[in-house]
Amino acid sequence: MKPVAFNWQRATDLPQALRARADGALCIAGGQSLGPMLNLRLVQPQSLLEVRQLAAMRATNLLQGRLRIGAAVTHAEIEDGVLPDTTQGMLRYVARNIAYRAIRNRGTLGGSLAHCDPAADWVNALTALGAQVILQNAKQERRLSMPEFVRGPFHTALQSDEMLLAVELPAFTTALRWGYYKICAKVGEFADAIGVVVSDPGLGWHCVLSGAIEARPLLVQGVTDLLQQPLPAAEVVRLRLGQALQEQLPNAEAVFVHRHVVALQRALMQCLAQPGGTADQAVTKKPESA
Amino acid sequence: MSTSQVEDREAHRPVLQLRMRVNDESVQLRCEPRTSLADALRKDLGLTGTHLSCEHGVCGACTVLIDGTPQRSCITLAASCDGARVTTIEGYADDAVMADLRQAFHTQHALQCGYCTPGMLCTARDIVLRLPGPDSERVRNELAGNICRCTGYVGIVNAIQLVLQHKQDGALPMPQSTTGLTSNPGLAQQATSEIQDWPSFAFDGVEQWLRVDRELDFAIPAQALWQRVADLALVARCLPGASISQLVGSRAIGEMQIRFGPMQAQFAMRAELSLQPALQQGEMRAEGSDRRSGTLVQTQMSYQVLSHATGSRLRYDLRFRLAGPLAQFSRNALVNDYVSEMSRIFGQNLQRADSAEAVAQLPAETPSLWRIVWRRVTRWLQG
Repeated sequence: MKPVAFNWQRATDLPQALRARADGALCIAGGQSLGPMLNLRLVQPQSLLEVRQLAAMRATNLLQGRLRIGAAVTHAEIEDGVLPDTTQGMLRYVARNIAYRAIRNRGTLGGSLAHCDPAADWVNALTALGAQVILQNAKQERRLSMPEFVRGPFHTALQSDEMLLAVELPAFTTALRWGYYKICAKVGEFADAIGVVVSDPGLGWHCVLSGAIEARPLLVQGVTDLLQQPLPAAEVVRLRLGQALQEQLPNAEAVFVHRHVVALQRALMQCLAQPGGTADQAVTKKPESA
Repeated sequence: MSTSQVEDREAHRPVLQLRMRVNDESVQLRCEPRTSLADALRKDLGLTGTHLSCEHGVCGACTVLIDGTPQRSCITLAASCDGARVTTIEGYADDAVMADLRQAFHTQHALQCGYCTPGMLCTARDIVLRLPGPDSERVRNELAGNICRCTGYVGIVNAIQLVLQHKQDGALPMPQSTTGLTSNPGLAQQATSEIQDWPSFAFDGVEQWLRVDRELDFAIPAQALWQRVADLALVARCLPGASISQLVGSRAIGEMQIRFGPMQAQFAMRAELSLQPALQQGEMRAEGSDRRSGTLVQTQMSYQVLSHATGSRLRYDLRFRLAGPLAQFSRNALVNDYVSEMSRIFGQNLQRADSAEAVAQLPAETPSLWRIVWRRVTRWLQG
């Protein structure tokens, strides 16, 4: 269980890191996904570039209601509430339930996204939150929505000369409500099903997402009316969600659909149980329409 | 495929020189980039109390403290711990919480074969220090990342609850951060409380510091300019070389990079902003040090937004003091030019920062030495 021999360097600043990246180095931040894959020799890199300490990847700020989180911010930092909270506690909740504390102390938000395990929490939670990823190469910065960024399991739009610098959330209002439910065989294991519901009437953003489906996160279509209260009877909700999933995943087995329906239904109930502010109580202004 | 290829690869295998502080002692290590921290601890330092089992981050046997927080030493490269503080199970001799946990593990039968125990104790100590009064279900959930195949966890949960009870009763002296061991639950929490707890800056003798005062004119109304300069995050984004890593209220922790020809410094900064919105006046105080050179910088900037024919005007009075090696660069005129150049870029950025998109696209321009030298040359030529 030892990795292959490779070269290693610690990035000193962003331009130097981008040059090393263009020369073919593989970025490592916390290494909590890459570490196991190195030990198992699933990944056999020529050279690794450590980026976890780069100021440009730690920089986090809140500008006009939009929270930009540096890619090298750890799960534990998010869990502990170091960042300003614009999501009514959703980021902290999601962070707290990622793997184990010892992993969260080192693992990073950006590392998890770049690794892009379909059952990973941030891949699904940030898609449901309508986040953008900020990618940088030596020439330019570009922004992608999460569905543009996530191409498939362990496959992203990140180019071989690019680095994932940060994630930016929309300017949510206090009307934001959310639900996040994952089904795991054991606390901290990768999820068998993830259901995410995010609804911000103030921003006009509503998302029902089914995750950990061994493919890209699934934006469940035609069910956002369920976010209106009162919620129909449980059987009706299950039926509606089941129909929607079967329509979008026609080859899925019944037990698979059932598990994901349960995760979605519980996320929906968690979301609707939250009080939710009104849109005019907005913490921040809505972004100017672009 | 030939043996010589393999030998070549062996021969060219890079070796790193690393420095760490392990169990409160400075150590130097020579190891390959691929060496895990666990292997470095066990094989190079002989600290075999750190146990390896799954070697992919699941079982928790190898958990040690890295910079004060529990982390997996099997999936953390030794190379990435260059400069870090590491505490293994051998390093808790003076730790009161660990002493109590050891006793409790003994009395509550919290171990049998003992293989998971070093990692289990590290996690248990983190639970005791980090969580305020967790119930047994929470303790069990927190232990999910440490696998024990002997005890069924009952004894472990009981032992931790016993120590939590001692903590609640005040019978357990909490370690001080000066012991060399980190007494706190995590870097992040440490930073948050740091940002909230530091006393306001009290600067002495500000009148004697280097001074730069300028006026910058803007083509936007005074109210709009005020909103921009009252936003600490925005100000930092517009300031060349500055970045904020944490922002709580009017206080921030971040970095300030200075490049001045061959000289480079990276100041770890903390800053505080106080505002008087009625007068559209503000004052920022900041302090920091460059770890590499040990140079200290202190700065105080008061500013005011005024209405002006162009739209608005920002008048500021910046005073700063350098102490330590970099202060020996006693070329005040050049430093003054550097600050002027920074001020010009800052004004330009602030003018452009009218939307989130615009802010995101601000160029990462830093003052160029060439421009400063060129300006001085042209000034001399102009006589």
